Amino acid sequence: MDSMVRNPDVKQRDAAQAVVVAVSSDAIFDPEVEQVHGATEPLRKGDAFSFMKAIQVVNERLLTLNSDETLLFDVILLSNDSEEKHSRIIASAKHYGLDIGRFCFCNKEDSIESLQSNEVKLFLSMDTNDVCKALQKGVPAALLYHQTDPNHQTEDQLKVVFSGDVIGSSEEMLHGLREQGFTETQLQGFKTAKGSVKEFAILMGEMRRRFGLEGSPLCTGLMTVWSSRDVCASALKTLRGWGLLVDEAFCLAGAPRSPILNLGFIGNTMKSSTYVKEGRDYSMYYGLEV
Amino acid sequence: MMSVNNGGMRTGQDTAPNGTARASWERTNTMSNPSTPTKHLKSPKPQNAITIAVSSRVLFNMDKEQQIYEQKGMEEYLKYQIEHETEPFGPGPAFPFVKALEAVNTRLRELYPESEELFDVVLMTNNHAHVGLRLINTINHHRLFIERFCMTGGNSPIGYLKAYHTNLYLSADPMKVREALEEGIAAATMFNPPEKRTEVSETQLRVAFDGDAVLFSDESERIYKAHGLDKFFEHEKAHENTLLDHGPLKGFLESLGKLQKKFYAKGQRMDCPIRTYLVTARSAASSGTRALKTLRSWGLDTDEALFLAGAPKGPMLEKIRPHIFFDDQMFHVEGAAELGTVAAHVPYGVAQKRPQKKLAEENAKDSSAAAK
Repeated sequence: MDSMVRNPDVKQRDAAQAVVVAVSSDAIFDPEVEQVHGATEPLRKGDAFSFMKAIQVVNERLLTLNSDETLLFDVILLSNDSEEKHSRIIASAKHYGLDIGRFCFCNKEDSIESLQSNEVKLFLSMDTNDVCKALQKGVPAALLYHQTDPNHQTEDQLKVVFSGDVIGSSEEMLHGLREQGFTETQLQGFKTAKGSVKEFAILMGEMRRRFGLEGSPLCTGLMTVWSSRDVCASALKTLRGWGLLVDEAFCLAGAPRSPILNLGFIGNTMKSSTYVKEGRDYSMYYGLEV
Repeated sequence: MMSVNNGGMRTGQDTAPNGTARASWERTNTMSNPSTPTKHLKSPKPQNAITIAVSSRVLFNMDKEQQIYEQKGMEEYLKYQIEHETEPFGPGPAFPFVKALEAVNTRLRELYPESEELFDVVLMTNNHAHVGLRLINTINHHRLFIERFCMTGGNSPIGYLKAYHTNLYLSADPMKVREALEEGIAAATMFNPPEKRTEVSETQLRVAFDGDAVLFSDESERIYKAHGLDKFFEHEKAHENTLLDHGPLKGFLESLGKLQKKFYAKGQRMDCPIRTYLVTARSAASSGTRALKTLRSWGLDTDEALFLAGAPKGPMLEKIRPHIFFDDQMFHVEGAAELGTVAAHVPYGVAQKRPQKKLAEENAKDSSAAAK
């Protein structure tokens, strides 16, 4: 059971044509804020707040190019918060002028169902477990990364990174990962993720083509963390087949990915959700959190 | 049947017909079809390895494409790259150097199969990912062991250099090299390889360094520039027992020394696949002393020290045949190239014609800090 609230301040998108993206409210507004009963001031910005701003810039630029554009981001804010916080969330969104089309309030257990019923093209959260669960149920989902480098403010550019390990995966490549210690469940996760990311990648390809090579507010990338360069090559070819020519590509051969993500990608990577253990090893070494 | 403990390598070892074990990457590299599964060795963790970052234009020859970019712009350039995707690039100026690094790695893996103290060559380019497939195809074609790359699509790679503990950065772009130096990363600019290239060894890595403003700071060069040769000699004599400050490439020499000791430890001093050279304009009799004493106190040395007392370096380098020679003065870099040596320019210190970017940046930082 969820309650959907349309945002009166934002022009509603045609959900069938738009890229519907659901974002967890904990990513946009700081969840740690002390809940003072009856408090009314706007919630503090969360770690992925600038991500919202970046989405807005993309939408604005798309509309500048074509005022009748329908391939826009349509953001649903997904909140599991208590009822008393609902109006505060809506008010905060208005306060910051966020381009959120709808608010979806539901219990944590019902989140997945809400995502499915709203035909969300992508669910974004900073919580690895939430992303994992969604992926397991076939909902395309990805992690939002906390940007830590102050010298790389990317409010004016949205960076979306795809996982080369997922997209370039093949039986041979998965076998190689098996040798590196990945379990069968994890490997199955790759396959599921590959299926669910295709549609979003196609949409990103279309959107990216609206802009020129340089000065685009949307930047796409590919990152292969564990697999070899040939898997990365395979991923590049697959993406190209789906209509997406990425701007940036990284092949890490096991090196930590946090430096790349924290330096400029408030991006979303599909596979990190499934490989929490490996990710945490590296991230902990650098003292950063996934 | 020999079997070498290969904890670090997940794939098994091959045995060649004569019964000796061969490293599995050797076997892989005899496969010509790049789409067959590459059973590859695991790349070392960045903090354990000696990371050498090379840009695409120094690793490969991309002259033609560079021309297209400069004359016709980005779109034409990328279109051309994609159209020629299956044509591998030819070797660039850093190619023999990278091959020699791999030869050293092979020897290190034989002696220390568990160790991650290896060279790790990373392709660090601000090229667009559209060129990615052509670059990967080229790496496959030349059978290079490069598993890590960053194609930043136009953004500066400097942040990534730092993040991945880069020990040496080679690029064709002097601006990026300066940026890297300013961030404390050893870096040098490379140019088109000499027309007449001296043949270099495929089994022994040879690296030559200039002294002042490369291994050492540029303090003595400042004296020379400001007050002339006599004053320089006076100064050096007076400060004979004072250590010189370190220069941008000291750390890299140190890394090479560390690896050399691993060979010595296994009784391979005579057969060591790494050889280093100091090639300096200082003279052995006088100003050279200070240089040697400094190296010694750092616990470093070079296998050979050549004091040229001002004579041109080209002929000496022609005899040494290094894979790469680092110098802070373009005069020497060009002189070396004329006689067939691949030389890299370290744009550090007082010898540079242009004012240090750092000064300008520092001023900018100060004013913006004041504004905050």
